[in-house]
Amino acid sequence: MAGNFWQSSHHQQWLLDKQDLIRERKHDLSILSEEEYQKIFIFFSSVIQTLGEQLKLRQQVIATATVYFKRFYARNSLKCIDPLLLAPTCIFLASKVEEFGVISNSRLISTCQTVIKNKFNYAYLQEFPYRTNHILECEFYLLENLDCCLIVYQPYRPLLQLVQDIGHEEQLLTLAWRVVNDSLRTDVSLLYPPYQIAIGCLQIACVILQKDQKAWFAELNVDIEKIQEIARYIINLFELWKTYDEKKEIQGLLSKMPKPKPAQQR
Amino acid sequence: MQKYEKLEKIGEGTYGTVFKAKNRENLEIVALKRVRLDDDDEGVPSSALREICLLKELKHKNIVRLYDVLHSDKKLTLVFEHCDQDLKKYFDSLNGDIDPDVVKSFMFQLLRGLAFCHSNNILHRDLKPQNLLINKNGELKLADFGLARAFGIPVKCYSAEVVTLWYRPPDVLFGAKLYTTSIDMWSAGCIFAELANAGRPLFPGSDVDDQLRRIFKLLGTPTDETWSGMNQLPDYKPFPLYQPNMSISQVVPKLGSRGRDLLQRLLVCNPFGRMSADDAMVHPYFTDLNPSIKNDRCERI
Ligand SMILES: Nc1ncnc2c1ncn2[C@@H]1O[C@H](COP(=O)(O)OP(=O)(O)OP(=O)(O)O)[C@@H](O)[C@H]1O
Ligand SMILES: [Mg+2]
Repeated sequence: MAGNFWQSSHHQQWLLDKQDLIRERKHDLSILSEEEYQKIFIFFSSVIQTLGEQLKLRQQVIATATVYFKRFYARNSLKCIDPLLLAPTCIFLASKVEEFGVISNSRLISTCQTVIKNKFNYAYLQEFPYRTNHILECEFYLLENLDCCLIVYQPYRPLLQLVQDIGHEEQLLTLAWRVVNDSLRTDVSLLYPPYQIAIGCLQIACVILQKDQKAWFAELNVDIEKIQEIARYIINLFELWKTYDEKKEIQGLLSKMPKPKPAQQR
Repeated sequence: MQKYEKLEKIGEGTYGTVFKAKNRENLEIVALKRVRLDDDDEGVPSSALREICLLKELKHKNIVRLYDVLHSDKKLTLVFEHCDQDLKKYFDSLNGDIDPDVVKSFMFQLLRGLAFCHSNNILHRDLKPQNLLINKNGELKLADFGLARAFGIPVKCYSAEVVTLWYRPPDVLFGAKLYTTSIDMWSAGCIFAELANAGRPLFPGSDVDDQLRRIFKLLGTPTDETWSGMNQLPDYKPFPLYQPNMSISQVVPKLGSRGRDLLQRLLVCNPFGRMSADDAMVHPYFTDLNPSIKNDRCERI
């Protein structure tokens, strides 16, 4: 749905502001520090990414699932739904919306079981605990919380155009694309329109590759301040990664995380 | 669900029943489309999801409005603006006679709704009289986006079997997998002829073969010259080389020469040759369209 971002539900309902996020997270941030909160989201972004790759989904579908996940918790506490259940539900919903076809539930559940067991056993000692009925119930709840806004614009398409405009450079595209994937582990998809995110990521890629494109960036008609903010989010993520050992810390974080009361489903 | 009082059943769809209902708070009449959530694997059906997410983005006066989505005990209900009837039922009430100005107005509104979808990169894919809703005041709206999809980078082939046979273009009948806006333009052409004939379908084929034969008998069998690439389509099979024996004026006797010209630009076998919705809207056929319809500001409301 290129070209009509401005009238989209993404633009009209789902570009939040920073203050909104802070307010909505108040409860969770009374239990977790901001950094701990972010680490938990980094972890679940990786869970979604890995599940998506195992299921051979396109990156667009994976990115959409990740944005659903983030939108849900932008409006709800972590204790509303166990993120380990919401993550595969987002994948399930996104693959239908992006017309990747329905992933059969049994395949989804068995993929969750293998992925948790083989790739994330440093975080979870038990088996993946959820079944089809949980996913279906959760899908419903997710849909409602997204206010049925399911079409998500991603930075990938604007990125392709920008790189083409710079002059096709394979290396630059590959790196910028990866930076966009990384940006899914920050809040930028909740705060900025995708074409700005694309520019921010491209700028970072240029810096890493030591390509001087200042003149080219200056010609773009964009709010430079916003681009800098986006870049800052991503650089902060890179900084955090330098010192963060997920394998060591995540179990502690997950046990500290606010949780649904075991008796009730939600 | 307490918010709405169900009045009567108005339609039965593939994934649910459609009811007329009244909003108890503001007494507004709406249409409720109940989505059955079968206890199977799929969860919320993809067709319902597509309809929800596309209509959430498309706000235009020639597209039926989705007001709300209600979630209640494992049921989804889509709340639509209510329209008086669908075009099929309207045809059935006509007794074979239709005002040419109504034909023009309906056709223009159909094209305007389509142009809006297409400018948003959305294909309807299932245009037919049952899926066009009309109001007594002469408005026409596109409905039933269950098969619609957003098109973008052609990363994969869309599923076959999407358009009701009668309104299917030859490329799709030959198994073409990469659909473009041209799929809707063919259907619009068929509906145009049906409008002009007060509800007599143009190509009421009984199966794919019969459908193609009817098309080629009227328009002539395409050749490699008029449609290069046709014989590479997955389900292509050769047909006798029919020459266009009947003229279009025999098929739509009540349509004037401009109307016939527009029809012929829509009913082009080669998908690349079909006129777009934008171009069709400025076709001379519409020069004398009632200005109140043409100038209707159609910004999102
Ligand atoms: N908003 C509405 N106002 C009045 N009538 C409606 C409305 N929506 C649907 N209907 C009636 O209900 C019928 C079925 O609805 P719709 O076409 O949306 O669903 P569907 O039939 O499930 O889809 P499909 O055509 O793929 O089977 C329509 O043909 C029309 O007669
Ligand atoms: Mg229908």
